[in-house]
Formats: sequence, C-alpha cells, structure tokens
Amino acid sequence: MSVDPTTGTPPRPKPSTRFSARDLLDTAIFAVIFIVVTYATGLLGIVSPVVWLLVVPLQVVASGIPVMLFLTRVRHAGMLTLFAGVVALFYLLGGNTLLGTAWIIVLGLVAEVILWSGRYRSRWAAIWAYTVFALSFFTPFLPLLVDRDSYLADSTWTQMGSDYVNAADALLTLPVLGIVALVIVITGLLGGLLGSALLRKHFVRAGLA
Amino acid sequence: MPDLRSLAAATPRQPGLDPRSKILVLLICSIVVMSPGGLRFVPAVLILAGGLALSARAWRRALGLAATATTMWVLGWLLPLWWPNALVAIVALTCSYLIRFVATVGVGMHLIATTSPTQLAAAFRAWRIPRPISVTLAVMLRFFPVVGAEAAAVLDAMRLRGLAGTTGLVRHPVLTLERFTVPMIAASLRASEDLSASAILRGLGSQHTPTAMHPPRFSSGDLLLMLACAALAVASLVLPAPLT
Repeated sequence: MSVDPTTGTPPRPKPSTRFSARDLLDTAIFAVIFIVVTYATGLLGIVSPVVWLLVVPLQVVASGIPVMLFLTRVRHAGMLTLFAGVVALFYLLGGNTLLGTAWIIVLGLVAEVILWSGRYRSRWAAIWAYTVFALSFFTPFLPLLVDRDSYLADSTWTQMGSDYVNAADALLTLPVLGIVALVIVITGLLGGLLGSALLRKHFVRAGLA
Repeated sequence: MPDLRSLAAATPRQPGLDPRSKILVLLICSIVVMSPGGLRFVPAVLILAGGLALSARAWRRALGLAATATTMWVLGWLLPLWWPNALVAIVALTCSYLIRFVATVGVGMHLIATTSPTQLAAAFRAWRIPRPISVTLAVMLRFFPVVGAEAAAVLDAMRLRGLAGTTGLVRHPVLTLERFTVPMIAASLRASEDLSASAILRGLGSQHTPTAMHPPRFSSGDLLLMLACAALAVASLVLPAPLT
C-alpha cells in the first residue's frame, strides 16, 4: 500500500466496489480473526458460571481490537459490508437464525455508511461504526425477543412449576433485554476505544496498521 | 500444454460428499433447529452430526459431540428435576438453548473438517455466487486452522505464565484481553502474509473463471445423505419428541 509521504497516512479508499485480491484476502483474514477472538473469549469464560455473565461484554470489547485494525486497512468502499456479510453467512451456518443473519448484514451496511461519512479515514467514525456493528452480538437474544411466548409455554417450564416460569419471565423481560442491548452498545464503544488505543500502542509501532 | 482432461481422469477423485449437499444440509439443519419449536428436531440433527463424524472416521469429534450434548441434556433437563432452585433454572434455560447450537455446530464441523478451499470454491462457482463472497468464504476456510492454531498457542503460553484463567480475567479483564488478542492478531497476520502471496500467485484475484479438475457432482454418498435426512425428518415429526 502506498503511503502519502507528507501526512504519513494511507490514501483514502476509492469509491469503487471492484475489490482487488488483496482486499478479499484482508476481509477474509479479519473475518476469521474476528470469529476466533469471539469464540476464544467465550472459551475463557466457560470456566466458571461467575464469568458467564461477563462473556458477552468481554466478547464485544475483545472483538473491537481486530475490527478497528481491519478498518484501517479498508481500501475500497463496501469492504465492511462484505465483512459483515461473510460473518453473517458463517454464523448462519453455525446456528444463527435467518433473522439474525439479516440483522448483521443491515448493521454492516449502517456501519459502512458511518465509515463513509468519515471518508474512511476518521478515527471517530471508525469507533462509531464498530459501536453500531457491535450490536451483532445481540443476535443470540433475538429469538428470545420474537419467540418468547412459545419459549415460556414450553412443557418443561410448566412442569417445573410457576416459580420457574416466573424466574425465567423475570430473566427475559423486555426491559432486561433492553439493558442487554444498552450494555452491548456501551461495551461496543469501549471496544472501539480500546481497539483504537491498542492500534497506536502496538500495531502502528509494529508496522501492521 | 498437457492434455488436462486425461490428467484429470488419471488423478483419483477425492472421496466424500459434494460440498453443495453438505452446505445445503447444514443450512436446513440450522434453520430448522433455530426456528420456533426447533427443539423437536435437535435429536435428529445430533444423530446426523454424529453419523457424519463417524463416516469421516473422526472419532474425537464424535466423542466430543456426544459428551457435550449429554452434558447439556443433564444440565438442562435432569438437574432441574433433582435440585430445583432459581440458579439451576437459569442454568437449565441456558443449556436448553445452547443444545440447539451444539447440534448445528456438530454438522458445521463436518463441513469445515472435510471440505478443502478448492472444493468449496468450485461448489460456489457451480452455484454462480458473486466472486467477492465466494473467494472470501473459501479463503476463510483456509485460514481457520491457521488462526485457530495461533490462538491455541497464545492461550497455552498464557496458561504457562499463569495469565489465563478465571481470576485473572475477573481482576484484569482488559489486560487479559490485550495479552490474548494482540499477539494472536500479530502472529496470524504474519502467517497470512505468506499465504496471501501464494494465493495471489495462484490466480486468486484473477477475473477469469477457473475450471475445476473435479467439478462437484452428485454421488451415491449424497443420495445416502439425502435419504438419511428425509428419514430423520420424518422420524422427528412422527415420533414423540424426547426434548420438549
């Protein structure tokens, strides 16, 4: 990649969507890193139930690091949408709902628009784009939002008595799911900030950003 | 230029299913299991995943799948009957939800373990999927083992130095994440440089449509898979559902 000698920043991406082989490879590598970081953070948390509650916020923060690094390498418009698309397709094969898949692609498009409004080289636009894209971690909760009644009318629940149904009901109410979404947005912002800080601390110094 | 057709006939066709049928089966399983009322199909999909693992002689995968599914079943269905309280109810709810993922991930692992990126690219070409998506997905399949190995190595190193584990994660969550992700990303990117160079040299970014030496074809194995899927689907619709 050619670097502008006067400012030291890479050139802005061209507004064309004809991806080069390099772009496709970068997108693929970062999509894989994104997925592996998400799953590995989940594995860190599987050790004890105390950490279970922390897993989703941790995954959101951890994934901010590869995504922020990826955003510095975007050279053509549409790469973030392609990234969201392949991640969504992968999650669809790995047991996501069709609704969740569509949700991730829409988030990718919105994040792409934010990135575009910062002309692809704005640090804050990248952070906000990740904050929006972080809502993709809400997809596992989407079925609970849509399918809630049939979930609670399940015979296991009725069999175990009203106490359990009430406990689950209290656990899965709309305000609680709203709080989960809010936590994801806040941790998404933190993840973007952390990723951007780590970018300067490690990756720029190592010549990787 | 040597006659490619005779060369293709001389090299043996790799055994196994058509990647397209594997992808279709996985998509159907995923959609059916994750849809409302999908719990009824979970046993059938688990049997299918186990059968696929056995057919590929992946004993460890089959054992791991059986162990995980049994754990989820015990935590989600048996434990609440023995020891009912609110905490167990939350664990049971989580596990009865996670067992759906175990089933589809089991089928997905077969696709990832038995499909080479070349086969996948040929299958996508046969489906006329746009080039950016098909190339990216095929490259992702190639990179998964690389990135997975790097992540496992970093986790091992962290464990050796006593940095991984619950206490560290709870006390210094951000520091633990930094220590894990930064070396993992740096090592993966370094490994990816060589792979990208070789992929580009082999014509990955070319605008021409390549041909396949062994184009994907529907074989007797695929017929067997379709029959097994149909039988399992009928069985899970007709027989009483064990997981409700």
